Amino acid sequence: MSFIISLKDIERFYDVGGEVVRALDGLDLNISANEYISIMGPSGSGKSTLMNMIGCLDTPTNGTYEFENEYVHEMDEGQLASIRNRKIGFVFQTFNLLPKSSALRNVEVPLIYANISKKERIDRAKESLIDVGLEDRMHHKPNELSGGQRQRVAIARALVNKPSIILADEPTGNLDSKSGVEILNIFNQLHDKGNTIILVTHEEEVAKNAKRMILILDGKVKSDIKN
Amino acid sequence: MSSIWQNILISLTSISNNKFRAFLSVLGIVIGVLSVTLMGTMISGLDQTFEKSMSSFRSDVLMISRFQWFDGDKEWWQMRNRPRMKPEYVDNLRNRSTMIDAIAPVMERSGEISRNNVETYARFFGTTPEYLKTNEEQKIESGRFFSNIENENGARVVVIGNGIATGLFENENPVNKYVKIGRNKYLVIGVIEKQGSFMGMWSLDNQAIIPFGTYQRNFAKRGWMNLRVKTNSEDINLAKEEITAQMRIIRKLKPLEENNFGINHSSGFEAQYNAIKFTIAGVGFFITALSLIVGGIGIMNIMFVSVKERTREIGIRKALGATPFNIMVQFLTESIIICLMGGVLAIGISFIISDIINDFFPSTMPIKLALFSILISVLIGVISGFIPSSRASKLDPIEALRYE
Repeated sequence: MSFIISLKDIERFYDVGGEVVRALDGLDLNISANEYISIMGPSGSGKSTLMNMIGCLDTPTNGTYEFENEYVHEMDEGQLASIRNRKIGFVFQTFNLLPKSSALRNVEVPLIYANISKKERIDRAKESLIDVGLEDRMHHKPNELSGGQRQRVAIARALVNKPSIILADEPTGNLDSKSGVEILNIFNQLHDKGNTIILVTHEEEVAKNAKRMILILDGKVKSDIKN
Repeated sequence: MSSIWQNILISLTSISNNKFRAFLSVLGIVIGVLSVTLMGTMISGLDQTFEKSMSSFRSDVLMISRFQWFDGDKEWWQMRNRPRMKPEYVDNLRNRSTMIDAIAPVMERSGEISRNNVETYARFFGTTPEYLKTNEEQKIESGRFFSNIENENGARVVVIGNGIATGLFENENPVNKYVKIGRNKYLVIGVIEKQGSFMGMWSLDNQAIIPFGTYQRNFAKRGWMNLRVKTNSEDINLAKEEITAQMRIIRKLKPLEENNFGINHSSGFEAQYNAIKFTIAGVGFFITALSLIVGGIGIMNIMFVSVKERTREIGIRKALGATPFNIMVQFLTESIIICLMGGVLAIGISFIISDIINDFFPSTMPIKLALFSILISVLIGVISGFIPSSRASKLDPIEALRYE
């Protein structure tokens, strides 16, 4: 069977003050369509580096990264930007919304960089906001929304360009438990609709939502369990 | 197309979020563009004035006098002791030269002209009827110029300038009325069209032209005199040479003797004027360039601050698919818009200023100059925004997203 994402023998080294840090050290990982994966690991395990790698924000020092038949490890900045725009929907712990723009404007941003006309952009952004239950909050700015609502705006933004994967980095980390549960429910629904989701977290409770749990340690996959 | 509009929208939002800061940083550009427009306005005003002032001294006209104008080799006092021009030269030159179309002696002095106890300053010219042919820009507005018979008889008739006409007669028609010059009454026979002023300095409308014979009889037989010549030659230098040769014969100069007269042409004025203009333009260019550089540095500085402040925004945009080029264009647009605002503001201010100056000195801002200033503003925006924008475009998205 073919994979959406295929990481082979990935190494990522950093030079920190003359000392080489091996953040990823020969990691292999394959991800298929409609998987719901959680990535766990203590701080310093290489979990964040892996997330950046999957998210095409970073490229490996060595190894091959294939994303739907495109070789990410060979790409330049512009191509990486394009693949992020078309194939990856980011959801961050700190939401990362543009503070001075309305929810609708925030959701429009990925479509702007995809060169989509204004009319279609607004239609799709609205649709996406309705999907996460924010039809009555479209014109509010982030500081006028609760934490859970902000994260839902971020999810709407992640979904608006119909990405191949949704990459969520501690999406419940800054939320109270009730909002956290709401957000995880949205992820479950998205998975049921056929989306591929990768959830990076250090909370086991959150990780258990996923159908496949991956543990990273010392830059390698330590365990890979299917629920 | 839509992405340009997007960038403009983003820039306007960002500028309006920091109105006062944008205003302060724009001031440098305002001053820079202001000095561009004012300098240009001034030079174009000078040009217009010069052209207008020189209109009575067309390129086919020569002035023969004791002095050679703008002659750097000769001191004023050396030329001062040269022999005078004589009225006999007029006929003499006309008979000898083949290149003279018209020639008239012109004597000149200043004095008072009055009517019913109203007195005004005038510059008196004594000349012959042929004068009109040597000065085609001076047209008779009403009445007529004097005739040869009036000239020979020394008739007390006068052709007055527009300024004197309004000064002494207000709305009346001066023709066939009397004015007083010295102790004598003169009949006004004509009024000359409005001439304006010479380089905004002195009026050309306060002239009073009387027949040469009359001038000699009533003012002075001898005195300051020019010969005004209209040539028929295509090549003014040829005419100049020919007339110089004839003058040397009239003056009986030996081959090795220097000319003891001057033959002047408007190009002498032009050369002098151009020298002044280039000095002004040179100094102006220096000041302008300096203030534009200072203004540009101000914009560069504010753009660095803007990039720094919005590091996280840059990170978010990059994560969502903005290419380095997108980010670059976004910040360049912002820098151009700030500079454009400054440029437009400066053009507005200089329109007002040139309008005020226009009351004292002719100055109008040409549209071309306004467009040029807009171009300069955009250019400054691109140049001073380039380094900050390129730095923004090269930010690492991971680092930028972590930036607090």
